[in-house]
Amino acid sequence: MSFSDGASKSSSKSSTKPTYSRFTQQELPACKPILTPALVMATFIVIGITFIPIGLSHLSASENVVELVDQYDEVCIPADSPDPDVVYSKRIGYIQDETTDKTCIRTLIVPKKMKQPIFVYYQLDQFYQNHRRYVKSRNDEQYRDPSASAKTTNCEPEAQLSEGQPIVPCGLIAWSLFNDTYTLSRNDVALPINKKGIAWESDRTHKFGDNVYSKNFQNRSLIGGGKLIDNIPLNQQEDLLVWMRTAALPNFRKLYGRIETDLEVNEIIKVVIQNNYNTYSFNGKKKLVISTTTWIGGKNDFLGMVYIIVGGVCLLIALVFITVYLIKPRPLGDPSYLSWNKNPASVQ
Amino acid sequence: MKRYVYINDDNLAKDIYCDNRISNRKYTILNFLPKNLWEQFSRFMNQYFLLIACLQLWSLITPVNPASTWGPLILIFAVSSSKEAWDDYNRYLLDKKANEKEIWIVRQGIRKLIQAQDICIGNIVWLRENDEVPCDLLLLGTADPQGFCYVETAALDGETDLKTRSIPSACMGIDVDLLHKIKGVIECPSPNKDIRRFDANMRLFPPFLDNDIFPLTIKNTLLQSCYLRNTEWACGVAVYTGNQTKLGMCRGIAEPKLTAVDAMIDKLTGAVFVFQIVVVIVLGIAGNVFKDKQGRKLWYVQYPKEGPWYELLVIPLRFELLCSIMIPISIKVSLDLAKSLYAKFIDWDVEMVDPETGIRSNAANQAISEDLGQVEYILTDKTGTLTENKMIFKRCCISGRFYGNESGDALTAKVGQFHTRHYPKMKKPLYVLLLVCAWFWRIKTEIFLILTSMHLQCNMKYLTLWSSHLTGKECLWWLGNAKAGNFSSCQKEQMKLFFLLPILIVSGQQVRTFAEAVEQYAQMGLRTLCLAWRKLEEDEYQEWTSMFKEANSTLVDRERRVAEVCQRLERDFEILGVAAIEDRLQEGVPETIEILRKAGINFWMLTGDKMSTAIQIALSCNFVSPEPKGQILIIDGKTEDEVCRSLDRVLLTTRITESESKQDVAFVVDGWALEIALKHYRKPFTELAILSRTAICCRVTPSQKAQLVELLKLCDYRTLAIGDGGNDVRMIQQADIGVGISGREGLQAARAADYSIGKFRFLKRLILVHGRYSYNRTAFLSQYSFYKSFLICFIQIFFSFISGVSGTSLFNTVSLMAYNVFYTSVPVLFSVLDKDLSERTVMQHPQILFDCQSGRLLNPSTFAGWFGRSLFHAIVVFVITIHSYAFEKSVMEEVAMVAVSGCIWLQAFVVALETNSFTIFQHLAIWGNLVGFYAINWIVSSIPTSGMYTIMFRLCEQPSYWITMILIVATGMCPVLALKYLRYTYRPSRINLLQQSERLGGPILSSGIIEPKSRSSLDKDIPTDSVYEPLLSESPSATRRSAGPTQRLDSVQSQSPPHSTHTRKDN
Repeated sequence: MSFSDGASKSSSKSSTKPTYSRFTQQELPACKPILTPALVMATFIVIGITFIPIGLSHLSASENVVELVDQYDEVCIPADSPDPDVVYSKRIGYIQDETTDKTCIRTLIVPKKMKQPIFVYYQLDQFYQNHRRYVKSRNDEQYRDPSASAKTTNCEPEAQLSEGQPIVPCGLIAWSLFNDTYTLSRNDVALPINKKGIAWESDRTHKFGDNVYSKNFQNRSLIGGGKLIDNIPLNQQEDLLVWMRTAALPNFRKLYGRIETDLEVNEIIKVVIQNNYNTYSFNGKKKLVISTTTWIGGKNDFLGMVYIIVGGVCLLIALVFITVYLIKPRPLGDPSYLSWNKNPASVQ
Repeated sequence: MKRYVYINDDNLAKDIYCDNRISNRKYTILNFLPKNLWEQFSRFMNQYFLLIACLQLWSLITPVNPASTWGPLILIFAVSSSKEAWDDYNRYLLDKKANEKEIWIVRQGIRKLIQAQDICIGNIVWLRENDEVPCDLLLLGTADPQGFCYVETAALDGETDLKTRSIPSACMGIDVDLLHKIKGVIECPSPNKDIRRFDANMRLFPPFLDNDIFPLTIKNTLLQSCYLRNTEWACGVAVYTGNQTKLGMCRGIAEPKLTAVDAMIDKLTGAVFVFQIVVVIVLGIAGNVFKDKQGRKLWYVQYPKEGPWYELLVIPLRFELLCSIMIPISIKVSLDLAKSLYAKFIDWDVEMVDPETGIRSNAANQAISEDLGQVEYILTDKTGTLTENKMIFKRCCISGRFYGNESGDALTAKVGQFHTRHYPKMKKPLYVLLLVCAWFWRIKTEIFLILTSMHLQCNMKYLTLWSSHLTGKECLWWLGNAKAGNFSSCQKEQMKLFFLLPILIVSGQQVRTFAEAVEQYAQMGLRTLCLAWRKLEEDEYQEWTSMFKEANSTLVDRERRVAEVCQRLERDFEILGVAAIEDRLQEGVPETIEILRKAGINFWMLTGDKMSTAIQIALSCNFVSPEPKGQILIIDGKTEDEVCRSLDRVLLTTRITESESKQDVAFVVDGWALEIALKHYRKPFTELAILSRTAICCRVTPSQKAQLVELLKLCDYRTLAIGDGGNDVRMIQQADIGVGISGREGLQAARAADYSIGKFRFLKRLILVHGRYSYNRTAFLSQYSFYKSFLICFIQIFFSFISGVSGTSLFNTVSLMAYNVFYTSVPVLFSVLDKDLSERTVMQHPQILFDCQSGRLLNPSTFAGWFGRSLFHAIVVFVITIHSYAFEKSVMEEVAMVAVSGCIWLQAFVVALETNSFTIFQHLAIWGNLVGFYAINWIVSSIPTSGMYTIMFRLCEQPSYWITMILIVATGMCPVLALKYLRYTYRPSRINLLQQSERLGGPILSSGIIEPKSRSSLDKDIPTDSVYEPLLSESPSATRRSAGPTQRLDSVQSQSPPHSTHTRKDN
């Protein structure tokens, strides 16, 4: 007979009764809802009739947004050849040549009256700001703290000059700063773009220091994007701040500035673009976007559409459920459906 | 292997054998960390997490801060390590206390006080009354002039009565002062764990006695951890010390049991791991292809022209880390917490407290509660488990006359009267025999009653049994030196009692009467004792005694030789009579068995009793329906051929009846036939075991019980073994779940068991309530854990397609860590309070347990459902997020937080939809968790140096954020709700039906049908046109104990004419 490890296991044979409480006896009062047809149908109907109005109002808000989009990357580059490979290399040669004048003039017609504030964005397509190598290549401490300018962890390969001096601001993100510029004019009168306050306030006050100045920036042989002004603190160079808020999607818009006058319908706006930024290597697109906003922000039909679809589908489901319920009513909890009661002999 | 112990030799033994230091510790301070870590890392899941954590230290590939894995990992390890350390420290304290106890021993002939740990082999140890024995001692002297002492062995075998121990005959009469100087040698076996045997001998050195070798038995020992009682002092020589004592050798760590649910989770984890590898390989290849085709053109990424040799591996490894959350690190912690709460609920349950003794149920093994809900076979002991183990002297047959009637227990006095009147001469031997037998049965109080009624003054203390020997069910007791005055008349008579096996009855009219009596009593379900005696002449006795002594002092094969010697005496008996003892069924046993059988659990009864008693008990506790519904098939035979034929016949009948499913078939097998069947006909016997719902195995040994459990386990059934005595321990340890009844046979079974309960009837609550709830809750908890991990992992995978397949993590470290450890773990933890059906409904419809047994709530297909749900939800969250936060709103941190909030909102509603009963805690956890989520993120968002500074405030100000959340919830939940509703209404599961009826108040009257138990039929509903009939009668009177005995007897007799398939041998 094998003897157990009786002594090592201590079984607490307390002869006192366990204390009674509703928790220990698992008898806490509980609400036990079940999916009754009425409850489920009501849910779907309520969802349906609340979602459709929300969707409609969202759509109408989106409709009210006036948006001007102009893709200029194709037209602002002189390269016409039937062979795409030739076009590709020509374009890259053009954009990388610093000596060429890359001015490009576009005219836009205002489709509807646009009330101020009007926002000017640039939009990049197929630009992976969320690429792993890219998105990690920054050092927030260096940007915030003037004494930490030597801290360039994570900033590789744009961390230091070959002699070892740290680059401020370091990292690929800053290095690839967008540097196209737009100058707007209406009827030959310049239309000022206010570039103050385009970055998040928190970025200006906390993320970037007000006495951190750029150093050794774009001084390596490989020049990326825009340059910075060395005697203006980083937090006042708001284009950089906007750019450094990396986008989660490969197609994104970033705020370029604000127009603080209304634009009338059919007004012609002349845009002088300095087409400096290279999106041609990777076949990316560049767009200029001029847009108003409403309570939903910029133009976005998606949410409104989905709201209407979901609401409609919910109403449809409710309708189907009601129909099925009326045609083929089935009492809940019918004992005859229990398999052990499916016996003719026992259900009497 | 032998050991020689030299008594009182201070120099010799010290170096050879270990000292008396007890150590139950698993670790020392030095080896704790490596040993504990090694143990923890022998689990696959832990190795996996460690690998992931180590990979994360490589900053080139890590998507997030390594803290997101290291933090939880270290936490988990710290928790389980400190639990181990704490347990070990407590063991150390206990050991220390035992080791430093002061003990009187003899050194250089003087009594000295030393610490218990310094006792050496051969030392003479002195104990006083109520002292604990510090090591295994061979008794040398006691305060009692007869050389007896009494010990309590509760710590060793759980038996609470006092046991007699005597000094070896060699030491008899040695003066107390001389005991200090005693010298000698003891030849004993090497340390072993058999607490019932000590086959040794002893030789004392002159001047004490001559060179005779004296036999020693376990009766001469005082084992470690026993207590000396009712004896002023005792002394003995240490033979085993420290961890080599019988107790120390018995200690062992039982194999941890793995539940079916755990096995399923492990299997699913393995599948998820494979899936993860596939995803990683696919994404890795895609990533490298994208890098070569597109990535090098992305000038702003500055891919170097020439990468290191491992360049190709970087992207797959990044994805491996990104996807590592697919296997949730929190599942282990959540399940451990939930499991310990299940166990606590069992401990706390006031309905499972034995009202008589106040013993409460206890879950010693916290990890296997789910298995209770999946039990398919229950193997139960009879005596003390189904019955009360209170032996009541009910009837007797003396010289062909039957005494005792149906009316009850107060028979004894009456028998006494009858007896005194009619058979004055028989009186004394019979009662002395009864007394002896009572000693054996441990029903002292009962016998004292008889004695009082017979005016026999007797002090049990002086009823000394100077030798006892037990083989099988045959019992030989020698009664000598009966000191009390009234026993003087039988002083010189040596009497013998044995359990008369029916085989032993040879012939003769008188014998036939007794044989009939035995049979009749057995059919009433009574335990029978046949009492016989014979007078021995003095010289015959002397001759036999010397033979017995010789046999008893052999070291090799002692048992067999003793049995042979005993046989010589067992002849020419005069049968005095037959006594029948009733062992009543415990309260609620038939009902419990009926309910559990309805729940689809198959019952096997394994008992040491004889066949007819076992069958009778089986009938009376609803094991088998009475004829004509129930059929009992008997397998017997003495030779292989007979057993084989018998087995084939039974198998054939079972197959036929099984296919018709009209009858309730049970087979009965006795130990001998079982031995043959298990050895030679394992295959047909296994088939029979699978086919038959019920089996009764009688005259089985403890090891056969364990073998049967093993057999069923090999057929992949979940087994539960329940028993109360030491002979059930092996079965209990072998079974998937061992349940011990804290009964009269001590706590041995209860200690070895995973669960201990006070009464058999608590088993139904243990299984149907606790087991079922535990299974349901764990099924939800574990699948949900995978669901939420998949959800976030799929979003990461989708995001990688819009981030150039470069392995960017959308979520930041804080979110990822908090998501797994906090946001999604807290609400679901409270699902351990969820109750899908009320306890009453479950008790009324035990058939609902099928769903648990067949694992309907946790299997690959339900898992696939959760997988699909997480995929769908991930698509919903991802698509809606990237479209509503497109263009100018597309800021990494914001998009990430929108996606995380979408997941949190969705999972709150998923938990809410899957919760069956909301207590206040569930509401708090589910909705409070949402509040907590925002609170935590607001706090993080207000820290300027955190990457999330102001993000959450900005989001919460935007109407589109809230509109997006509502849309995500509605889009994610509406299809789930619609599907659930459709299934709930038009294809309801049994649980759904019962829920509906329970909550709408409509009573469901369930008829007491037993569904066929075979596995295949568990999963399909019975066709409506089937010919199933109720197998168990609804009228309880036919089978229950409550019916009058006459009726019972009748029903028994109607049962007994041999059935066509009976192969029972007629006497």
